[in-house]
Amino acid sequence: MRPAEFRKAGSRSSCLRLLVLISLAGVGASAASIPHGTVDLVAEDQWIAPGHQCYLGINFHFEKGWHTYWINPGDSGQPPHAEWLLPAGLTAGEIEWPAPRRFGASTIADFGYDEAATLLVPIRAAASLQPNQPAQLGAEVFVLVCREICIPGKAHISLSLQIKSMPPKPDGSTRELFTAARKSLPRAAPGDWAISAIDANDSFMLIVNSGREITHAAFFPLEESQIDNSAPQKLKPAATGFRLTLRKSDQLLKPIKRLKGVLEVSANQNYVIDTAVRSTGSAKQMK
Amino acid sequence: MKRSIVHVLVFTLLILAPQFVISAVKVGQPAPDFTGTASNGKSYHLADYRGKFVVLEWHNNGCPYTQKHYKSGNMQNLQKQWTAQGVVWFTVISSAPGKQGFVNANEENKYLETMGAAPTAALLDPTGVIGHLYDAKTTPQMIVINPQGVMVYDGAIDNRPTENLKDIPGATNYVNLALGQSLAGRSVETAATRPYGCSVKYPGSWF
Repeated sequence: MRPAEFRKAGSRSSCLRLLVLISLAGVGASAASIPHGTVDLVAEDQWIAPGHQCYLGINFHFEKGWHTYWINPGDSGQPPHAEWLLPAGLTAGEIEWPAPRRFGASTIADFGYDEAATLLVPIRAAASLQPNQPAQLGAEVFVLVCREICIPGKAHISLSLQIKSMPPKPDGSTRELFTAARKSLPRAAPGDWAISAIDANDSFMLIVNSGREITHAAFFPLEESQIDNSAPQKLKPAATGFRLTLRKSDQLLKPIKRLKGVLEVSANQNYVIDTAVRSTGSAKQMK
Repeated sequence: MKRSIVHVLVFTLLILAPQFVISAVKVGQPAPDFTGTASNGKSYHLADYRGKFVVLEWHNNGCPYTQKHYKSGNMQNLQKQWTAQGVVWFTVISSAPGKQGFVNANEENKYLETMGAAPTAALLDPTGVIGHLYDAKTTPQMIVINPQGVMVYDGAIDNRPTENLKDIPGATNYVNLALGQSLAGRSVETAATRPYGCSVKYPGSWF
Protein backbone atom coordinates (compact mmCIF):
# COMPACT_ATOMS: atom_id res chain seq x y z
CA MET A 1 0.00 0.00 0.00
CA ARG A 2 1.31 3.39 -0.94
CA PRO A 3 0.72 5.23 2.38
CA ALA A 4 2.67 2.54 4.26
CA GLU A 5 5.54 2.86 1.81
CA PHE A 6 5.63 6.58 2.41
CA ARG A 7 5.85 5.97 6.13
CA LYS A 8 8.63 3.41 5.80
CA ALA A 9 10.61 5.67 3.54
CA GLY A 10 10.87 8.19 6.41
CA SER A 11 12.89 11.23 5.38
CA ARG A 12 12.61 10.25 1.74
CA SER A 13 8.86 10.72 1.91
CA SER A 14 8.89 14.47 1.38
CA CYS A 15 11.17 13.93 -1.58
CA LEU A 16 8.76 11.35 -3.00
CA ARG A 17 5.82 13.66 -2.42
CA LEU A 18 7.64 16.38 -4.28
CA LEU A 19 8.16 14.00 -7.19
CA VAL A 20 4.48 13.12 -7.16
CA LEU A 21 3.62 16.81 -7.13
CA ILE A 22 5.96 17.46 -10.03
CA SER A 23 4.41 14.66 -12.03
CA LEU A 24 0.94 15.93 -11.12
CA ALA A 25 1.93 19.33 -12.40
CA GLY A 26 2.58 17.71 -15.75
CA VAL A 27 6.33 18.33 -15.80
CA GLY A 28 7.01 14.62 -16.46
CA ALA A 29 8.37 13.67 -19.86
CA SER A 30 5.10 12.95 -21.64
CA ALA A 31 2.47 13.53 -18.94
CA ALA A 32 -0.61 15.11 -20.41
CA SER A 33 -3.17 16.97 -18.39
CA ILE A 34 -6.69 15.68 -17.82
CA PRO A 35 -9.34 17.24 -15.58
CA HIS A 36 -7.91 17.19 -12.03
CA GLY A 37 -5.03 14.92 -12.92
CA THR A 38 -2.49 13.74 -15.42
CA VAL A 39 -1.97 10.76 -17.68
CA ASP A 40 1.20 9.46 -19.28
CA LEU A 41 2.28 6.49 -21.30
CA VAL A 42 5.02 4.24 -19.95
CA ALA A 43 6.79 1.22 -21.39
CA GLU A 44 7.95 -1.84 -19.51
CA ASP A 45 10.78 -2.67 -21.90
CA GLN A 46 13.66 -0.60 -23.22
CA TRP A 47 12.90 -1.39 -26.85
CA ILE A 48 10.47 -3.23 -29.07
CA ALA A 49 11.55 -6.69 -30.20
CA PRO A 50 9.91 -8.00 -33.41
CA GLY A 51 7.88 -11.17 -32.75
CA HIS A 52 7.49 -10.37 -29.05
CA GLN A 53 4.80 -8.90 -26.86
CA CYS A 54 5.55 -5.98 -24.61
CA TYR A 55 3.48 -3.99 -22.17
CA LEU A 56 2.60 -0.33 -22.08
CA GLY A 57 0.96 1.34 -19.11
CA ILE A 58 -1.60 4.13 -19.24
CA ASN A 59 -0.64 5.81 -16.02
CA PHE A 60 -3.20 8.06 -14.31
CA HIS A 61 -2.70 10.39 -11.37
CA PHE A 62 -5.63 12.18 -9.79
CA GLU A 63 -5.88 15.07 -7.40
CA LYS A 64 -7.17 14.12 -3.98
CA GLY A 65 -10.84 13.20 -4.06
CA TRP A 66 -11.07 12.67 -7.84
CA HIS A 67 -11.46 9.30 -9.47
CA THR A 68 -12.15 7.43 -12.69
CA TYR A 69 -13.79 4.10 -13.36
CA TRP A 70 -13.31 0.35 -13.67
CA ILE A 71 -14.51 -1.61 -16.73
CA ASN A 72 -17.87 -1.87 -14.94
CA PRO A 73 -18.29 1.62 -13.54
CA GLY A 74 -21.13 0.63 -11.24
CA ASP A 75 -24.19 2.86 -10.90
CA SER A 76 -22.81 5.89 -12.72
CA GLY A 77 -19.75 6.95 -14.67
CA GLN A 78 -17.88 5.47 -17.60
CA PRO A 79 -14.61 3.55 -17.91
CA PRO A 80 -11.65 5.21 -19.65
CA HIS A 81 -10.84 4.07 -23.15
CA ALA A 82 -7.94 4.45 -25.54
CA GLU A 83 -7.78 4.80 -29.30
CA TRP A 84 -4.35 3.67 -30.33
CA LEU A 85 -2.15 5.31 -32.94
CA LEU A 86 0.50 2.71 -33.70
CA PRO A 87 2.84 2.08 -36.62
CA ALA A 88 2.02 -0.87 -38.88
CA GLY A 89 3.13 -4.14 -37.29
CA LEU A 90 2.18 -3.13 -33.76
CA THR A 91 -1.23 -4.06 -32.32
CA ALA A 92 -2.69 -3.16 -28.95
CA GLY A 93 -4.64 -5.74 -26.96
CA GLU A 94 -7.37 -5.21 -24.40
CA ILE A 95 -6.76 -3.18 -21.24
CA GLU A 96 -5.95 -5.31 -18.19
CA TRP A 97 -7.97 -3.67 -15.43
CA PRO A 98 -6.61 -3.41 -11.87
CA ALA A 99 -8.98 -4.48 -9.12
CA PRO A 100 -11.24 -1.51 -8.37
CA ARG A 101 -12.31 0.09 -5.16
CA ARG A 102 -15.78 1.15 -4.27
CA PHE A 103 -17.01 4.73 -4.06
CA GLY A 104 -20.40 5.06 -2.60
CA ALA A 105 -23.16 6.96 -0.99
CA SER A 106 -26.08 5.13 0.55
CA THR A 107 -27.99 4.30 -2.64
CA ILE A 108 -25.39 4.74 -5.38
CA ALA A 109 -22.10 2.87 -5.62
CA ASP A 110 -19.41 3.22 -8.26
CA PHE A 111 -16.27 1.17 -8.94
CA GLY A 112 -12.98 2.76 -9.91
CA TYR A 113 -9.63 4.23 -9.03
CA ASP A 114 -8.51 7.30 -7.13
CA GLU A 115 -5.00 8.69 -6.45
CA ALA A 116 -3.23 6.69 -9.15
CA ALA A 117 -3.90 3.77 -11.46
CA THR A 118 -1.94 2.07 -14.22
CA LEU A 119 -3.89 0.31 -16.95
CA LEU A 120 -1.69 -2.33 -18.57
CA VAL A 121 -2.04 -2.88 -22.30
CA PRO A 122 -0.23 -5.67 -24.19
CA ILE A 123 1.36 -4.60 -27.49
CA ARG A 124 2.12 -7.30 -30.02
CA ALA A 125 5.03 -6.65 -32.36
CA ALA A 126 4.91 -8.51 -35.68
CA ALA A 127 7.96 -10.64 -36.50
CA SER A 128 8.19 -8.79 -39.80
CA LEU A 129 8.73 -5.44 -38.05
CA GLN A 130 11.77 -3.67 -39.49
CA PRO A 131 14.46 -3.22 -36.78
CA ASN A 132 16.85 -0.31 -36.21
CA GLN A 133 14.24 2.42 -36.41
CA PRO A 134 12.20 4.30 -33.84
CA ALA A 135 8.49 3.62 -33.35
CA GLN A 136 6.15 6.35 -32.16
CA LEU A 137 3.47 4.81 -29.92
CA GLY A 138 0.51 7.00 -29.18
CA ALA A 139 -3.01 6.90 -27.88
CA GLU A 140 -5.96 9.21 -27.58
CA VAL A 141 -7.25 8.62 -24.06
CA PHE A 142 -10.84 9.44 -23.12
CA VAL A 143 -11.45 9.59 -19.40
CA LEU A 144 -14.28 10.67 -17.14
CA VAL A 145 -12.94 12.22 -13.93
CA CYS A 146 -15.39 12.62 -11.07
CA ARG A 147 -15.59 13.83 -7.51
CA GLU A 148 -18.99 15.24 -6.70
CA ILE A 149 -19.34 16.20 -10.35
CA CYS A 150 -17.97 14.55 -13.48
CA ILE A 151 -15.76 16.11 -16.12
CA PRO A 152 -15.00 14.30 -19.36
CA GLY A 153 -11.39 14.64 -20.50
CA LYS A 154 -9.32 13.73 -23.51
CA ALA A 155 -5.55 13.56 -23.80
CA HIS A 156 -2.96 12.52 -26.31
CA ILE A 157 -0.15 10.44 -24.84
CA SER A 158 2.83 9.04 -26.65
CA LEU A 159 6.33 7.73 -26.37
CA SER A 160 9.06 6.69 -28.73
CA LEU A 161 10.79 3.31 -28.56
CA GLN A 162 13.54 1.91 -30.72
CA ILE A 163 12.85 -1.34 -32.62
CA LYS A 164 15.76 -3.74 -32.10
CA SER A 165 16.26 -7.33 -33.21
CA MET A 166 17.38 -8.30 -29.71
CA PRO A 167 15.43 -10.06 -26.97
CA PRO A 168 13.34 -7.56 -24.95
CA LYS A 169 14.93 -6.06 -21.85
CA PRO A 170 12.98 -4.45 -18.99
CA ASP A 171 13.45 -0.76 -18.34
CA GLY A 172 14.70 -0.32 -14.76
CA SER A 173 13.13 3.11 -14.43
CA THR A 174 9.58 1.74 -14.85
CA ARG A 175 10.08 -1.60 -13.10
CA GLU A 176 8.48 -0.57 -9.80
CA LEU A 177 5.48 0.90 -11.55
CA PHE A 178 4.85 -2.27 -13.57
CA THR A 179 5.42 -4.51 -10.54
CA ALA A 180 2.85 -2.50 -8.59
CA ALA A 181 0.44 -2.52 -11.55
CA ARG A 182 0.66 -6.33 -11.84
CA LYS A 183 0.11 -6.69 -8.10
CA SER A 184 -3.12 -4.75 -8.39
CA LEU A 185 -4.52 -7.04 -11.10
CA PRO A 186 -7.04 -9.65 -9.99
CA ARG A 187 -5.54 -13.16 -10.16
CA ALA A 188 -6.98 -16.62 -10.57
CA ALA A 189 -8.29 -17.92 -7.26
CA PRO A 190 -6.05 -20.47 -5.49
CA GLY A 191 -6.47 -23.92 -7.04
CA ASP A 192 -7.70 -25.50 -3.83
CA TRP A 193 -10.59 -23.07 -3.43
CA ALA A 194 -14.07 -24.31 -4.26
CA ILE A 195 -16.25 -21.48 -5.50
CA SER A 196 -19.94 -21.72 -6.29
CA ALA A 197 -22.96 -19.46 -6.54
CA ILE A 198 -26.65 -19.98 -5.97
CA ASP A 199 -29.67 -18.01 -7.03
CA ALA A 200 -31.61 -17.42 -3.81
CA ASN A 201 -34.73 -15.46 -4.75
CA ASP A 202 -33.81 -11.79 -4.34
CA SER A 203 -30.08 -12.38 -4.03
CA PHE A 204 -27.14 -14.44 -5.17
CA MET A 205 -25.08 -16.30 -2.65
CA LEU A 206 -21.38 -16.64 -3.42
CA ILE A 207 -19.98 -19.61 -1.53
CA VAL A 208 -16.23 -19.92 -1.15
CA ASN A 209 -14.54 -22.88 0.46
CA SER A 210 -10.98 -21.72 0.96
CA GLY A 211 -9.97 -24.14 3.70
CA ARG A 212 -9.44 -21.25 6.10
CA GLU A 213 -11.54 -18.59 7.74
CA ILE A 214 -11.96 -15.37 5.78
CA THR A 215 -13.40 -12.37 7.57
CA HIS A 216 -13.37 -9.76 4.84
CA ALA A 217 -14.75 -10.11 1.33
CA ALA A 218 -16.12 -7.70 -1.25
CA PHE A 219 -17.42 -8.65 -4.67
CA PHE A 220 -17.23 -6.40 -7.72
CA PRO A 221 -19.53 -7.58 -10.51
CA LEU A 222 -17.99 -7.56 -13.99
CA GLU A 223 -21.36 -7.31 -15.68
CA GLU A 224 -23.74 -4.49 -15.09
CA SER A 225 -27.29 -4.92 -13.78
CA GLN A 226 -26.68 -8.26 -12.06
CA ILE A 227 -26.27 -7.21 -8.46
CA ASP A 228 -27.41 -4.14 -6.57
CA ASN A 229 -24.14 -2.21 -6.40
CA SER A 230 -24.98 -0.16 -3.32
CA ALA A 231 -26.61 -2.90 -1.22
CA PRO A 232 -24.49 -4.06 1.72
CA GLN A 233 -22.86 -7.42 0.95
CA LYS A 234 -23.52 -9.72 3.87
CA LEU A 235 -20.54 -11.86 4.79
CA LYS A 236 -21.02 -15.01 6.81
CA PRO A 237 -17.59 -16.40 7.76
CA ALA A 238 -17.22 -20.13 8.34
CA ALA A 239 -14.28 -22.19 9.55
CA THR A 240 -13.46 -23.19 5.99
CA GLY A 241 -14.46 -20.11 4.05
CA PHE A 242 -17.48 -17.87 3.79
CA ARG A 243 -20.80 -17.08 2.16
CA LEU A 244 -21.40 -13.67 0.67
CA THR A 245 -24.96 -12.53 0.00
CA LEU A 246 -25.32 -10.20 -2.97
CA ARG A 247 -28.64 -8.54 -3.53
CA LYS A 248 -29.93 -8.72 -7.11
CA SER A 249 -30.21 -5.58 -9.17
CA ASP A 250 -33.69 -4.17 -9.74
CA GLN A 251 -32.74 -4.09 -13.43
CA LEU A 252 -32.20 -7.86 -13.48
CA LEU A 253 -35.34 -9.45 -14.90
CA LYS A 254 -33.99 -12.79 -16.13
CA PRO A 255 -31.98 -15.55 -14.44
CA ILE A 256 -28.23 -15.42 -15.08
CA LYS A 257 -26.06 -18.41 -15.95
CA ARG A 258 -22.75 -17.20 -14.58
CA LEU A 259 -21.58 -14.78 -11.94
CA LYS A 260 -18.40 -12.98 -13.00
CA GLY A 261 -16.38 -10.41 -11.18
CA VAL A 262 -13.55 -9.69 -8.80
CA LEU A 263 -13.48 -10.86 -5.21
CA GLU A 264 -11.39 -8.83 -2.80
CA VAL A 265 -10.36 -10.62 0.38
CA SER A 266 -7.62 -8.14 1.32
CA ALA A 267 -5.95 -5.11 -0.22
CA ASN A 268 -3.61 -7.11 -2.44
CA GLN A 269 -5.63 -10.30 -2.75
CA ASN A 270 -8.12 -9.91 -5.55
CA TYR A 271 -9.39 -12.96 -7.35
CA VAL A 272 -11.20 -13.47 -10.63
CA ILE A 273 -14.60 -15.08 -10.12
CA ASP A 274 -16.37 -16.80 -13.01
CA THR A 275 -18.75 -19.39 -11.66
CA ALA A 276 -22.00 -21.04 -12.73
CA VAL A 277 -25.13 -19.94 -10.88
CA ARG A 278 -27.29 -22.80 -9.62
CA SER A 279 -30.90 -22.24 -8.68
CA THR A 280 -31.98 -23.46 -5.26
CA GLY A 281 -34.86 -25.81 -4.56
CA SER A 282 -36.69 -23.06 -2.72
CA ALA A 283 -36.30 -20.74 -5.69
CA LYS A 284 -37.89 -23.39 -7.91
CA GLN A 285 -40.79 -23.74 -5.51
CA MET A 286 -41.34 -20.01 -5.56
CA LYS A 287 -41.83 -20.04 -9.35
CA MET B 1 -39.69 -22.89 21.97
CA LYS B 2 -42.19 -22.15 19.19
CA ARG B 3 -42.85 -18.70 20.52
CA SER B 4 -39.17 -17.81 20.46
CA ILE B 5 -38.96 -18.95 16.85
CA VAL B 6 -41.92 -16.70 16.05
CA HIS B 7 -40.18 -13.83 17.83
CA VAL B 8 -37.03 -14.37 15.86
CA LEU B 9 -39.05 -14.49 12.63
CA VAL B 10 -40.94 -11.30 13.42
CA PHE B 11 -37.73 -9.58 14.41
CA THR B 12 -36.02 -10.71 11.18
CA LEU B 13 -38.96 -9.48 9.10
CA LEU B 14 -38.84 -6.11 10.85
CA ILE B 15 -35.16 -5.78 10.01
CA LEU B 16 -35.69 -6.82 6.41
CA ALA B 17 -38.88 -4.82 5.83
CA PRO B 18 -37.34 -1.49 4.78
CA GLN B 19 -35.21 -3.28 2.16
CA PHE B 20 -38.28 -4.94 0.68
CA VAL B 21 -39.87 -1.53 0.35
CA ILE B 22 -36.86 -0.33 -1.65
CA SER B 23 -36.83 -3.39 -3.91
CA ALA B 24 -40.50 -2.88 -4.83
CA VAL B 25 -39.41 -0.46 -7.56
CA LYS B 26 -39.10 -2.80 -10.45
CA VAL B 27 -40.42 -3.21 -13.96
CA GLY B 28 -43.68 -5.15 -13.93
CA GLN B 29 -44.68 -3.71 -10.57
CA PRO B 30 -46.86 -0.69 -9.69
CA ALA B 31 -45.08 2.65 -9.99
CA PRO B 32 -44.90 4.29 -6.55
CA ASP B 33 -47.24 7.26 -6.26
CA PHE B 34 -46.01 10.78 -5.59
CA THR B 35 -47.04 14.40 -5.65
CA GLY B 36 -44.49 16.84 -7.02
CA THR B 37 -44.28 20.59 -7.34
CA ALA B 38 -43.28 21.77 -10.78
CA SER B 39 -41.31 24.81 -11.90
CA ASN B 40 -44.58 26.19 -13.34
CA GLY B 41 -45.93 26.37 -9.79
CA LYS B 42 -48.47 23.58 -10.24
CA SER B 43 -48.70 20.38 -8.27
CA TYR B 44 -48.77 17.03 -10.07
CA HIS B 45 -50.09 13.80 -8.59
CA LEU B 46 -48.99 10.67 -10.45
CA ALA B 47 -52.20 8.75 -9.70
CA ASP B 48 -54.17 11.42 -11.61
CA TYR B 49 -52.57 10.15 -14.82
CA ARG B 50 -53.96 6.63 -14.80
CA GLY B 51 -55.11 5.90 -18.31
CA LYS B 52 -52.06 7.60 -19.81
CA PHE B 53 -48.46 6.64 -20.36
CA VAL B 54 -46.10 8.58 -18.12
CA VAL B 55 -42.36 9.11 -18.70
CA LEU B 56 -40.06 10.13 -15.84
CA GLU B 57 -36.76 11.70 -16.92
CA TRP B 58 -34.12 12.35 -14.24
CA HIS B 59 -32.36 15.59 -15.07
CA ASN B 60 -29.26 17.61 -14.11
CA ASN B 61 -28.42 20.50 -16.45
CA GLY B 62 -24.72 20.45 -15.42
CA CYS B 63 -24.20 16.76 -16.13
CA PRO B 64 -22.32 16.05 -19.39
CA TYR B 65 -24.59 13.07 -20.11
CA THR B 66 -27.74 15.18 -19.73
CA GLN B 67 -26.13 17.89 -21.86
CA LYS B 68 -25.46 15.33 -24.60
CA HIS B 69 -29.19 14.80 -25.03
CA TYR B 70 -30.17 18.48 -24.70
CA LYS B 71 -27.42 20.12 -26.79
CA SER B 72 -28.26 17.69 -29.57
CA GLY B 73 -31.99 18.33 -29.20
CA ASN B 74 -32.57 14.61 -28.74
CA MET B 75 -34.44 14.89 -25.44
CA GLN B 76 -36.58 17.82 -26.63
CA ASN B 77 -37.53 15.84 -29.76
CA LEU B 78 -38.56 12.87 -27.65
CA GLN B 79 -40.62 15.12 -25.37
CA LYS B 80 -42.40 16.74 -28.32
CA GLN B 81 -42.91 13.51 -30.23
CA TRP B 82 -44.45 11.63 -27.32
CA THR B 83 -46.44 14.35 -25.57
CA ALA B 84 -48.06 15.00 -28.99
CA GLN B 85 -49.35 11.42 -28.75
CA GLY B 86 -50.84 11.95 -25.30
CA VAL B 87 -47.89 10.74 -23.23
CA VAL B 88 -47.31 12.65 -19.98
CA TRP B 89 -43.63 13.59 -19.53
CA PHE B 90 -42.19 14.63 -16.18
CA THR B 91 -38.63 15.88 -16.00
CA VAL B 92 -37.52 15.27 -12.41
CA ILE B 93 -34.71 17.29 -10.82
CA SER B 94 -33.47 15.60 -7.64
CA SER B 95 -30.29 17.66 -7.16
CA ALA B 96 -30.02 18.98 -3.62
CA PRO B 97 -29.49 22.72 -2.95
CA GLY B 98 -25.83 23.62 -3.52
CA LYS B 99 -25.24 20.60 -5.72
CA GLN B 100 -24.83 20.37 -9.47
CA GLY B 101 -28.10 20.67 -11.32
CA PHE B 102 -30.06 22.28 -8.48
CA VAL B 103 -32.36 24.99 -9.82
CA ASN B 104 -35.15 27.12 -8.47
CA ALA B 105 -38.43 27.47 -10.36
CA ASN B 106 -37.37 30.61 -12.28
CA GLU B 107 -34.07 29.14 -13.33
CA GLU B 108 -35.76 25.97 -14.55
CA ASN B 109 -38.43 27.88 -16.47
CA LYS B 110 -35.70 29.89 -18.20
CA TYR B 111 -33.78 26.71 -18.98
CA LEU B 112 -36.86 25.01 -20.47
CA GLU B 113 -37.46 28.04 -22.67
CA THR B 114 -33.84 28.45 -23.77
CA MET B 115 -33.45 24.78 -24.59
CA GLY B 116 -36.83 24.49 -26.28
CA ALA B 117 -37.67 21.67 -23.89
CA ALA B 118 -41.26 20.47 -23.85
CA PRO B 119 -41.98 18.14 -20.93
CA THR B 120 -45.50 18.20 -19.47
CA ALA B 121 -43.81 19.65 -16.38
CA ALA B 122 -40.41 19.83 -14.65
CA LEU B 123 -40.77 18.56 -11.09
CA LEU B 124 -38.48 20.11 -8.48
CA ASP B 125 -37.37 17.41 -6.04
CA PRO B 126 -34.58 19.06 -4.00
CA THR B 127 -35.05 16.69 -1.06
CA GLY B 128 -34.72 13.68 -3.38
CA VAL B 129 -38.01 12.13 -2.22
CA ILE B 130 -39.19 11.19 -5.71
CA GLY B 131 -35.69 10.15 -6.73
CA HIS B 132 -35.31 7.80 -3.77
CA LEU B 133 -38.85 6.48 -4.27
CA TYR B 134 -37.77 5.24 -7.71
CA ASP B 135 -34.20 4.52 -6.63
CA ALA B 136 -33.02 6.77 -9.47
CA LYS B 137 -29.25 6.45 -9.86
CA THR B 138 -28.27 8.62 -12.79
CA THR B 139 -29.09 11.53 -15.04
CA PRO B 140 -30.54 10.84 -17.50
CA GLN B 141 -32.40 7.81 -16.10
CA MET B 142 -35.70 7.05 -17.81
CA ILE B 143 -38.80 5.33 -16.50
CA VAL B 144 -41.94 4.51 -18.48
CA ILE B 145 -45.22 3.83 -16.68
CA ASN B 146 -48.20 2.35 -18.53
CA PRO B 147 -51.86 3.48 -18.28
CA GLN B 148 -52.46 0.85 -15.57
CA GLY B 149 -49.78 2.49 -13.42
CA VAL B 150 -47.25 -0.32 -13.94
CA MET B 151 -43.59 0.33 -14.69
CA VAL B 152 -42.78 -1.04 -18.15
CA TYR B 153 -39.29 0.41 -18.61
CA ASP B 154 -36.51 1.44 -16.23
CA GLY B 155 -33.00 2.34 -17.28
CA ALA B 156 -30.86 4.17 -19.79
CA ILE B 157 -32.15 6.45 -22.51
CA ASP B 158 -30.24 4.50 -25.16
CA ASN B 159 -27.59 1.85 -25.70
CA ARG B 160 -24.56 4.19 -25.91
CA PRO B 161 -23.38 5.10 -22.41
CA THR B 162 -21.20 8.07 -23.34
CA GLU B 163 -21.33 11.86 -23.12
CA ASN B 164 -20.44 12.22 -26.81
CA LEU B 165 -23.07 13.91 -28.99
CA LYS B 166 -21.79 11.93 -31.98
CA ASP B 167 -23.11 8.75 -30.37
CA ILE B 168 -26.76 9.79 -30.68
CA PRO B 169 -27.35 9.06 -34.39
CA GLY B 170 -27.78 5.32 -34.81
CA ALA B 171 -28.24 4.60 -31.10
CA THR B 172 -31.09 2.34 -30.01
CA ASN B 173 -33.41 4.57 -28.02
CA TYR B 174 -34.98 2.45 -25.30
CA VAL B 175 -37.69 5.02 -24.47
CA ASN B 176 -38.90 5.07 -28.07
CA LEU B 177 -38.91 1.28 -28.11
CA ALA B 178 -40.75 0.96 -24.79
CA LEU B 179 -43.43 3.51 -25.74
CA GLY B 180 -43.70 2.26 -29.32
CA GLN B 181 -44.09 -1.37 -28.32
CA SER B 182 -46.49 -0.57 -25.45
CA LEU B 183 -48.69 1.65 -27.62
CA ALA B 184 -48.82 -1.14 -30.19
CA GLY B 185 -50.17 -3.40 -27.43
CA ARG B 186 -47.02 -5.48 -27.23
CA SER B 187 -44.82 -6.17 -24.24
CA VAL B 188 -41.58 -4.22 -23.95
CA GLU B 189 -38.66 -6.29 -25.24
CA THR B 190 -35.89 -4.46 -23.38
CA ALA B 191 -37.64 -3.56 -20.15
CA ALA B 192 -34.65 -2.82 -17.90
CA THR B 193 -31.12 -1.63 -18.60
CA ARG B 194 -28.32 -0.07 -16.60
CA PRO B 195 -29.07 3.66 -16.52
CA TYR B 196 -25.95 5.56 -17.49
CA GLY B 197 -24.71 9.05 -16.71
CA CYS B 198 -23.87 11.13 -13.66
CA SER B 199 -24.96 10.02 -10.24
CA VAL B 200 -28.08 11.82 -8.98
CA LYS B 201 -26.85 14.60 -6.66
CA TYR B 202 -28.95 13.71 -3.62
CA PRO B 203 -28.64 15.55 -0.31
CA GLY B 204 -25.69 14.09 1.58
CA SER B 205 -24.16 12.33 -1.42
CA TRP B 206 -20.52 13.17 -1.83
CA PHE B 207 -19.63 12.05 -5.34
